[in-house]
Amino acid sequence: MSDAAKPLLRLTGLLLPLLVLCALPFYLESYWLRIGLFSMAAAIGAVGLSLLSGTAGQLSMGHAFFLAVGAYGYVWFSGDPGLGLPPVVAMVLAVLLAGAAGGVFSPVAGRVKGMYLGIATLALVFVGHHLMLTMDGVTGGFNGRSVEPMEIGGLVLDSGHDDLAVLGVPFGAEERLWYFGLALLAFTWFTARGLLRGRPGRALVALRDSETAASVMGVPVARYRSSAFVVSSMYAGLAGVLIALSFRRVVPDYFGLVLSIDYLAMIVIGGLGSVGGAVAGAFFVTALPLVMAKYADQLPLVAAPGSADGSLGPTEASRYLYGAAIVVILLWAPDGLHGLVRRLRLRLRREPSPPPPEPGLAEPVNPAPTTLPAVPVKEHTP
Amino acid sequence: MNPRTTATGPAQAPQPLEVDGVTVRFAGLTALDDVSFTVAPGSVHAVIGPNGAGKSTCFNVLSGLYRPASGSVRYGGQRLTGLAPHKIAALGVARTFQNIVTTEGTVGDNLMLGRHALTRAGFVSSALHLPHAVREQRTHLARAREIAELVGLERHFDSPVALLSYGDRKRVEMARALCLEPRVLLLDEPVAGMNTTERAAAVEVVRTVRERLGLSIVLVEHDMGLVMRLADEVTVLDFGRRIAHGTPDEVRRDPEVLRAYLGTGADSTGAADNSGAADTTGAADSTRAGNTGAEPSGAKNSGPEGDGPGTPGKEAA
Repeated sequence: MSDAAKPLLRLTGLLLPLLVLCALPFYLESYWLRIGLFSMAAAIGAVGLSLLSGTAGQLSMGHAFFLAVGAYGYVWFSGDPGLGLPPVVAMVLAVLLAGAAGGVFSPVAGRVKGMYLGIATLALVFVGHHLMLTMDGVTGGFNGRSVEPMEIGGLVLDSGHDDLAVLGVPFGAEERLWYFGLALLAFTWFTARGLLRGRPGRALVALRDSETAASVMGVPVARYRSSAFVVSSMYAGLAGVLIALSFRRVVPDYFGLVLSIDYLAMIVIGGLGSVGGAVAGAFFVTALPLVMAKYADQLPLVAAPGSADGSLGPTEASRYLYGAAIVVILLWAPDGLHGLVRRLRLRLRREPSPPPPEPGLAEPVNPAPTTLPAVPVKEHTP
Repeated sequence: MNPRTTATGPAQAPQPLEVDGVTVRFAGLTALDDVSFTVAPGSVHAVIGPNGAGKSTCFNVLSGLYRPASGSVRYGGQRLTGLAPHKIAALGVARTFQNIVTTEGTVGDNLMLGRHALTRAGFVSSALHLPHAVREQRTHLARAREIAELVGLERHFDSPVALLSYGDRKRVEMARALCLEPRVLLLDEPVAGMNTTERAAAVEVVRTVRERLGLSIVLVEHDMGLVMRLADEVTVLDFGRRIAHGTPDEVRRDPEVLRAYLGTGADSTGAADNSGAADTTGAADSTRAGNTGAEPSGAKNSGPEGDGPGTPGKEAA
């Protein structure tokens, strides 16, 4: 391709997915939008964990705890037994609270590394679960709490009060939240890319590959280890807020150890240390059980949810499937979906053009969207 | 030779690096025993000795990875002993490793890691792509390219390090150390494992670096030919003690040195033989091995060097 066409191509590659994502609420029913929302929330959390485990090489089993801090933090800051602050402020505070929780843990995170940190963070999940059950006044105990809807500039991201319709399509909670989630995901993508390609990202990679080399290159090892933990917790907090908003209710049982492991599965499937990979892995792990539940009756060997015991439910089936996916990926593509796409790209790029050594080999899977999708594009309604 | 010294590096002159009475013990084993030497500003100072003599331990003390039981290391007026490695790096002491320790990513990524201490962009400014962080990245990337050019890596700047040849990866390490704009450069066996061509090229690079950047270089090396050609001064260690010190010519004739390498009190003809025989790594090692095989302490003494954190074999991927 010519050099003049390249930026144009890049721009198209950036805008086209964005355009499609913005148009989806006009075509999809709310079930699919909800799947998308859960996936977006998971993607934000997975980016955070990828930064910690993939880039900095620090295993964390406590991601569910920080998701819970974000979710419950938002509920408490915005809700009735709580501060009752404007939802946007509550969201920012919830993210900061998750970061602070990570900071409190950072004396441990700064000293303990790798597998040992994984075990140490395991404790967080159990402590968190216990607190969620016992601190009734804040968390609502076993039954959890309902979540205040997000409100931005007078527009409540919830169905009910007003009959908002855009281009003839009624805009309920899912449609409105969709754009909010998209904006948060774009922000996450933008910031995480900045971190990874900048000075902190290089220091974290050095920390993972050789602590000795990192330290003699001038990287304060313990400080960067704890910083990675705090940043990862903040992304988890943001994900927690979006999870709370999409579920409209937070319950303690959701934030268990299985959730932490799901996030680890996401970043492994996606490819450790890559933002695009983490997002792809998050969509895969989150959407798969829900999509399978939707089509349970049409799938062979999979029974509808809640049918006779001994049969394979969609949740179990999807767990088998992504268990198999992890094994396949570890065997055939240890660098995950991200690595798979990159190698495919390299091959495609190499075959048609004769001069193979192209600078910028490590091109991103997808360029970072630098604009926030604030306004839905004008599309024809079906 | 080339008058671009000030154009490629900060004009700040190096200061003497003084190692004073440094003793390092590992669980009863004395790896360094009251070792002292001074690296004159702008000179090439070689630390040599048979396997297990304490050379790498010495480097690990200089770069702050080990804390000595006693003694001190000073750079100019600044005491280095007791400082964390990253602080020592920030003061202008950079090092390479015996077995290559690079990080994942391109050559450029690795060199930019070397700029860490000289740059400021933190988590927030990098995440938000703030203008000053973007600008900083751009200017330092330009400087990293210059350094890559200096060591002959400019063609590989955007290639992943993992794809480079052994010799080139060694260069990446040196370039990364140079990216700290060090005043003292510690090179741990810069030509180990290289073939003759690569070795000649590496010697050329060290010469160029010294001439252009005007820094002090401390060199640990087995290759006696290289040491004799490059070094202004040589310190010889054996079993953790300094057994000789002086110019390459003086050291070559020193009876203590000959005894350490050959195990006999050789005369001057032996000295000539030795310098020839010790010209390659293998020869120096085998001479040593043949003569110390009978001494139990010889095997024991090689322990700390092999196990120290300065030789992280598992990390050199």
